[in-house]
Amino acid sequence: MKGKGLLEGLWITLRHLFEREITIQYPEQMPYLQERFRGCLQFDYKKCIVCGLCTKACPNNVLSYESEPDPNSKKKLLISYTIDLQYCMFCNLCVEACPTGTLYFNHNFELSEYQRDDIKIVYEIPRSAQAVISEPVDSPIEMVDSDSEPAPQPDEEEAKKQKQINAMITALQKNPVKAVSKLVESEDQARILADILQADEKKLIRMATMMIEDREKAGKVALAFVNKELKDRQQEGGAGNEPE
Amino acid sequence: MENWFVNIAYALTNWLTGLGLSAGLADFILLVVQWVCIIIIVTLNVIVLIWLERKVSGFIQQRLGPNRLGPFGMFQTIADAIKLLTKEDIIPSATDKLIFRTAPMFFIIISVMLYVVLPMGENMVIADLNAGVFYFISVGSLTTICLLMAGWGSNNKWSLLGAMRSVAQMISYEIPLAFSLLGVIMIAGSMRLSDIAAAQSNVWFIVLQPVAFITYFIAATAELNRGPFDMPEAEQELTAGAYTEYTGMRWALFFLAEYTNLVAVSALMSTMFLGGWQGPFLPSWLWIIIKTYLVMIVFMWLKWTFPRIRMDHLMSFSWKVLIPVTLANILVTGIALQVFKGMGW
Amino acid sequence: MLQTEQYTINIGPQHPSTHGGLHVEAVMDGEHIVDSIVHLGYVHRSVEKIAESRTYPQFVPYTSRLDYLASHLPTLGYCQTVEKMLGVTVPERAEYIRVIMAEFSRIASHLLFVGSLAIDLGATTGLIYCFRDRERIMDLFEMTSGQRLIASYMRIGGISHDIPDTFIPAVRSYIADFPKMIEEYEGLIVGNEILQARLKGIGVLNAEEAIEYGVTGPNLRACGVEYDIRKADPYGIYDRFEFDLPLGSKGDSWDRLLVRIEEMVQSVRIIEQALEALPEGDIKAKVPRIIKPDKGSEVYHRIESSKGELGYYIVADGGEKPYRLHVRAPSFVNLMVLPVISRGEKLQDIIANIATLDPVLGESDR
Repeated sequence: MKGKGLLEGLWITLRHLFEREITIQYPEQMPYLQERFRGCLQFDYKKCIVCGLCTKACPNNVLSYESEPDPNSKKKLLISYTIDLQYCMFCNLCVEACPTGTLYFNHNFELSEYQRDDIKIVYEIPRSAQAVISEPVDSPIEMVDSDSEPAPQPDEEEAKKQKQINAMITALQKNPVKAVSKLVESEDQARILADILQADEKKLIRMATMMIEDREKAGKVALAFVNKELKDRQQEGGAGNEPE
Repeated sequence: MENWFVNIAYALTNWLTGLGLSAGLADFILLVVQWVCIIIIVTLNVIVLIWLERKVSGFIQQRLGPNRLGPFGMFQTIADAIKLLTKEDIIPSATDKLIFRTAPMFFIIISVMLYVVLPMGENMVIADLNAGVFYFISVGSLTTICLLMAGWGSNNKWSLLGAMRSVAQMISYEIPLAFSLLGVIMIAGSMRLSDIAAAQSNVWFIVLQPVAFITYFIAATAELNRGPFDMPEAEQELTAGAYTEYTGMRWALFFLAEYTNLVAVSALMSTMFLGGWQGPFLPSWLWIIIKTYLVMIVFMWLKWTFPRIRMDHLMSFSWKVLIPVTLANILVTGIALQVFKGMGW
Repeated sequence: MLQTEQYTINIGPQHPSTHGGLHVEAVMDGEHIVDSIVHLGYVHRSVEKIAESRTYPQFVPYTSRLDYLASHLPTLGYCQTVEKMLGVTVPERAEYIRVIMAEFSRIASHLLFVGSLAIDLGATTGLIYCFRDRERIMDLFEMTSGQRLIASYMRIGGISHDIPDTFIPAVRSYIADFPKMIEEYEGLIVGNEILQARLKGIGVLNAEEAIEYGVTGPNLRACGVEYDIRKADPYGIYDRFEFDLPLGSKGDSWDRLLVRIEEMVQSVRIIEQALEALPEGDIKAKVPRIIKPDKGSEVYHRIESSKGELGYYIVADGGEKPYRLHVRAPSFVNLMVLPVISRGEKLQDIIANIATLDPVLGESDR
């Protein structure tokens, strides 16, 4: 029959008319990102040995650093590290070149800023190496093939962990929404969680400890906090924030 | 519920004559009220239709259409209308100003004039002309002039090209359009639309005239510049269509007029082939709304599935395929009518 | 007496079609095209000049941006060129994974071809369905390399990361769903009589002209010439796979569409064979950190990209940056045949011709 192809096409579109949609409602729903997704380049200053391989590997001169020799040992100390994201190709060459796994990509893909100067990420590391000024410290995502150093000694590890936990507590106190945004799925949930943690000091310390020690559990506990809060609010008769 | 509108009309006329006006003047005022109602119906329909088109196309493509403004995105059209109203009205300096400005106005006036003969329910026709179908077809074909005015008035090579193509398309498809309806008129025995609707009380004409239904559907899609026949409009991909130089509300008026035309043609189709306002349980004016919207959804379904037909295929299809088919349909209908009359049915 | 004259119209470079910044100047006589001139260069990014100031490993991400729709294929070509220059043998596991990613890129590119052909001719729904299926391939790329579109996944000597555990089940599920997708395209796009009437007999390119102009890839195979670099001059491990070459007969737009759809099916065959034979092992050969080929060495290596023959010509001068790098882009050469096939056609047909030649402007302008 001459019009058969046309009718087949009509049948296909009619079937799809009644199927579920495959789109997600961004920004209320975040897309599912695979583990290796390259979002924003992050720098974990504690692991850096100031070898300079990353700056040599980068095709676009995105990375640069200032260092001074350590008076006590033959190593170098890092003063500041700059990532100029506007030139970055997200090609992963720097992450692969780094021998200690200092550089990694997180899952944050919403990188627009209002001013051009804000795109540069500058890490300034003071002598005491206590606070990070521009980005909160997250425990880095495990890269599958990174050549990491052999595990440090137990008491060294303990001290390191305590320092990380302190840094996390500071980050949660100063800029909680950003710090917890990696744990939960949507911005609303991040805000709710931030409010909960700000209100209760013990919960904040507990959450910081969990985020360093066991990240998955931290995510689950965070979700539990948020859901409980939502249920309490709903029972009070307040507005639920179900996205459409 | 069935006779709401009829009763309101009687009550109004009686009140006006009670006030001391002559019967003629009361009828005239009733007519004015009916015109206002038509404008309201047209506006509401277009608002719903634009939203429906975007939603249907979204669902066919496995995505949601507009869904942020209002529940299910229902207020999206209002937002679009406000945006178009506030746009700057650019009129190029070298255009033929009178023709340029009046083309969209004529288009919408003609499209609204089509609603006068359509039965919106039982006994709900504004002017029940005894040549209703003839009036509909002839007024509907005036839209070609408006398109030509738009193309000529723009003083733009590509607009004129697009307008001439669309005129060629619309003229080619007038003949199959009229011939498809001739079969129905022969069976019903009159051109009055309410008679045709009433004559379908036993069986709908789509059963008796399936070929005519399909050819009328195709011809109507071409007349409306829609669906697989939208070469004059989508000419924007290549050069420019007849509507290039129009901005803001003038452009919106063109699209308003096209959608108005679509509703009128769908209503005509449901009257002539699908039984009009006949149907159980629900009041008659609700039936015609349901049938019209069903026909419109089929129009949209067709538009979003098929690619565009090339201009020369379009013409050859009309002249070499549709016209012989419709003529054959008339022949067969005529013979069948004589045979059945002879048999005494 | 009425006289007609020819007029010139410009198609593009701002064009609602999806092919990038292509500018075609068509000289028309009424409805028919007398001549057309292709103007390129709107997307020129001086990639070849940039190559002269980047070291060999640093240039790898730039290659992905050449043919951004099938981004693993140019990277494969470049890595194999440098490996040929240095004489490096790539480990087996890396070779098989490279083949899988290259064939998926080919499928992704052809899917986009079908979608953009559908929307250029008016069937918008076709585009959406093709992109829905392309999204799954993008997810596969994200799983392995971290990026969806411009995945600079391959490195000189192998690949950058090994495949995660979730990769092979995802590939198998995609292969299992693939016949249904092809069926849907056949029903909606290929079987549609309107589309057939618009594409059959349009844009005819005969085999001699095609070879003279240097057309390669599916466009050449649609003319009936059986030439595929994977079979004629195999690179990597392509000589171990068994696949057919779909051939057209008339060289018109319809054949070009059918050849690409059949090529997608053949690519799935190659992926299945590669999955069966995937060995364990290293993923990257030992390559010196600073790559310095010998002075005066030059090499030309070509691969079968989704658009045709993609070739890299590198001249080394003993330093760590190439002296000259030239990319033989298939789209650049394929586009030159557009005036020939559009002569005498109507205006709507030139759009279909551009769509079926499948140009990628990033590649043709470099």
